[in-house]
Amino acid sequence: MSAAEHRDLIPWYHPKKLLISFRRSPPLVAFALSALLFLITILINPKGLNNRFIGSLILLTTLLAISSAGQTIVLIGGGMDFSVGAVMSAAAIIATYTMDKQDSVLIYVQVLALSLLMGAVVGLLNGFFVVKIGLPAMIVTMAVSNIITRLQYVFTSGSPAGWAGQKFVDSIIYRFFDLIPSIVIYALLFVPVVFWILNRSRFGKQVYMVGNNRQAAYLTGVRVNWVIIMTYVISGMMSAFAGILGAGYKATARVDIFGEYAFTSLVAVIVGGTTFSGGVGTYTGTIAGALLMTVLSNLLTTLGLPQTMRDILNGVIIILLLMLYNRSKAVRQ
Amino acid sequence: MIEMRDITKHYGAVQALKGASITIPAGKITALLGSNGSGKSTLVKVLAGLVSPNSGSILINGQPVVIRSGNDAQARGISTAFQDLSLLPMMTVSDNLLLGNEPRTPFGMVDREKSRQIVKDLMDRFKIRCSPQDYVQSLPSSTQSMLEIAKAVHRNPRVLLLDEATAALHMDEITVLFDILRDLRDQGLSIVFVTHRMHEVFELCDEAVILRGGETVKSGPVTEFTLDDLVYYMTGQRMAHHAPGQDVSETSRQGQAVLEVKNLSLPPRVKDVSMTAHAGEIIGIGGLEGQGQSDFMRAILGAKHKTGGSIRFLGEEVAFRQPAQAVKAGMGLISGERNREAMFPDRTIAENIFAGNAAVGPRFRFLPKKFVRKFSEDAVKTYRIKIGSLKDAASTLSGGNQQKLVIARWIAVGPKLLLLDDPTKGVDIHSRLEIHQILRESAQKGMAVIISASDMDELLEIAQRVYVFYEGRVSGVLQGDSMTQENMVSLMMGFTNEKADGLLMKSKEAQA
Ligand SMILES: Nc1ncnc2c1ncn2[C@@H]1O[C@H](COP(=O)(O)OP(=O)(O)OP(=O)(O)O)[C@@H](O)[C@H]1O
Ligand SMILES: [Mg+2]
Repeated sequence: MSAAEHRDLIPWYHPKKLLISFRRSPPLVAFALSALLFLITILINPKGLNNRFIGSLILLTTLLAISSAGQTIVLIGGGMDFSVGAVMSAAAIIATYTMDKQDSVLIYVQVLALSLLMGAVVGLLNGFFVVKIGLPAMIVTMAVSNIITRLQYVFTSGSPAGWAGQKFVDSIIYRFFDLIPSIVIYALLFVPVVFWILNRSRFGKQVYMVGNNRQAAYLTGVRVNWVIIMTYVISGMMSAFAGILGAGYKATARVDIFGEYAFTSLVAVIVGGTTFSGGVGTYTGTIAGALLMTVLSNLLTTLGLPQTMRDILNGVIIILLLMLYNRSKAVRQ
Repeated sequence: MIEMRDITKHYGAVQALKGASITIPAGKITALLGSNGSGKSTLVKVLAGLVSPNSGSILINGQPVVIRSGNDAQARGISTAFQDLSLLPMMTVSDNLLLGNEPRTPFGMVDREKSRQIVKDLMDRFKIRCSPQDYVQSLPSSTQSMLEIAKAVHRNPRVLLLDEATAALHMDEITVLFDILRDLRDQGLSIVFVTHRMHEVFELCDEAVILRGGETVKSGPVTEFTLDDLVYYMTGQRMAHHAPGQDVSETSRQGQAVLEVKNLSLPPRVKDVSMTAHAGEIIGIGGLEGQGQSDFMRAILGAKHKTGGSIRFLGEEVAFRQPAQAVKAGMGLISGERNREAMFPDRTIAENIFAGNAAVGPRFRFLPKKFVRKFSEDAVKTYRIKIGSLKDAASTLSGGNQQKLVIARWIAVGPKLLLLDDPTKGVDIHSRLEIHQILRESAQKGMAVIISASDMDELLEIAQRVYVFYEGRVSGVLQGDSMTQENMVSLMMGFTNEKADGLLMKSKEAQA
């Protein structure tokens, strides 16, 4: 290869190519936008640039990234999971109720087992109804999500349900070097699992196949329905795990405490480059999307606007982002 | 007359066209030939206004023009039937045919009566057998191809571009089409005809233009070429001669019966079909479009459920509920309907090749990156698939290379029984021979192969035995000396009575 040709292949050699490769890589765009919004936040409020602020940014990003993992897998498989928030809340309630201010390995195991089981059952219901009834995934999972939230009311009678153990709380919010929150330890264990499922297992390949061309996957010998149900089960379990961590972060839990995560996780995933139509997407993108959503929410807080204005602005920005990402791609032009 | 001069086009590092030129005279049919990935479709799309070239010029009657969009092209009387079809699958046949071209009443409303008449005439002319209200996505690919052509012709073009229009068509449809094309030619149209079926070139075309690696390497009247010449200019090598049936004696040493089908029924498409395939055999399934061939294969694979009869696979009675079970048991299906049934267009080339393996192996065992890459690298080399990088989306490949991708996917897995439903659709002549060779080798290693093809010659060339389907039944089985075009044609038309002097064997005798 001649030097000139070689140069052609390196995108950052030409500004125009840099732009193109940028547009082709949603994670890059999301990271760049995050940096931009972060800068704006700092410019508006220079005093905000301190260890506490950055620490909480990392903590919230990590929590959202973990919450959005299941959603990523479901979306790649061509579905959608609106029960992420309800499952997280339910898991948080199970966690605080079971712990009841106590810490012990046995209790941790109980919490984990109960929550994951709950998440798996919810996922199974979601998957089963999506596959068997054939209603749109959004509607099915919303309905299931409503039922879970109702059950939370019944279970707690609407009042906060106990407290997480202090050691467990510390394992999430402790700051290494007064900066990095200890939740990242969980992330270091969790993220490789997601990468393994999506990128280094045949199951992951099957999810992409089903999402990209269901009929082809079927004829190639993939158990399409089983794969779809499994994506919801995995999503339910991952959301439950995220809910337990959330309980540690908030120390207590009440009904629907993480309800908004259903929507936020979806936006984080889409902004990270996973498409609504399925078959395309990465977890790296979702992590970038989670960062972007967290930084955005911080910026809106910094602006000191009233809550309603914040919500409206948040909505408008999200719509703009989604428009930016969902432009149809040119194939074989 | 249209001239395209020194057209270049590159996609990143891939050079699709490097100085291709073509002259398209009026009142002639010009064949545009070349191997998979040689740039034919790109050249067609440049003229159709869908691809803007990096350099080069287009002249219409000596005047340089710039074609910026599909509308530009249409305004200049250029109309195209695309290789990957421009039909809207979720719309009806009638809407697709008229799209953007509806007859209007004096008040500017769509004239329904007239629309109906136009659609009816068009469908009659092309002998398209379906209802104008059918959704395009529900139609077989050959009907879709015919619609695509009818749509292009309906726009009354002066220049008609047909990109592999016949790849999915069956004999009867091709006859209809060729008559229409000859008519249009005699009316003075310029027609560009892209095909990989060389006999069509000699049958239909007046001029030939041959591309290799994005360049025009040769052009001239068809009469100046022999088949060998065409292949030589396309590939740069002389074709190795290989008499059909030569290997038969070797491969037909009959192994174990891999598949035994008895009186299989799947109303309304398949009625009472019996067939046996042994290890090492290549069995052909022939017939006109829609005589039950596809449904028969899908019933074996468990994608459709039989209502009667029995299937024994590897000696055991089976009733697969879904293809996954059949695949696990050792079957594989290669579909020629790549867009609908085979490709994962947004996934990488590597993933597409690995798809067959991904479907059968242990689901959650750690899958090293290297393993997948090695697997697909080997396949790309073995089947000489022309790619940029393994990480490119599969949709960036040329049509024939996409098809090779799907074939490679299965051969690499090595099933006991391979079902191929028109697998070489859009594959160039050289690669087709290579694929045939691969199938023969796989058969010799003990694979049973059942192949259906819309191209009769292909079956006669590769199969040791051909079951001809007519209206869901086997109208006859051809083997050995009885495998001739004439016999095949009469069976395809449904003549089961011993017209061909007893050469046709009934399926029972063939199995005995
Ligand atoms: N949108 C695209 N992006 C990247 N590469 C492309 C794109 N379109 C075409 N190519 C490449 O350009 C080359 C020529 O493609 P083209 O489709 O013109 O081939 P073709 O002669 O029509 O082949 P076939 O007979 O298989 O249809 C191929 O190597 C193909 O991979
Ligand atoms: Mg082509």
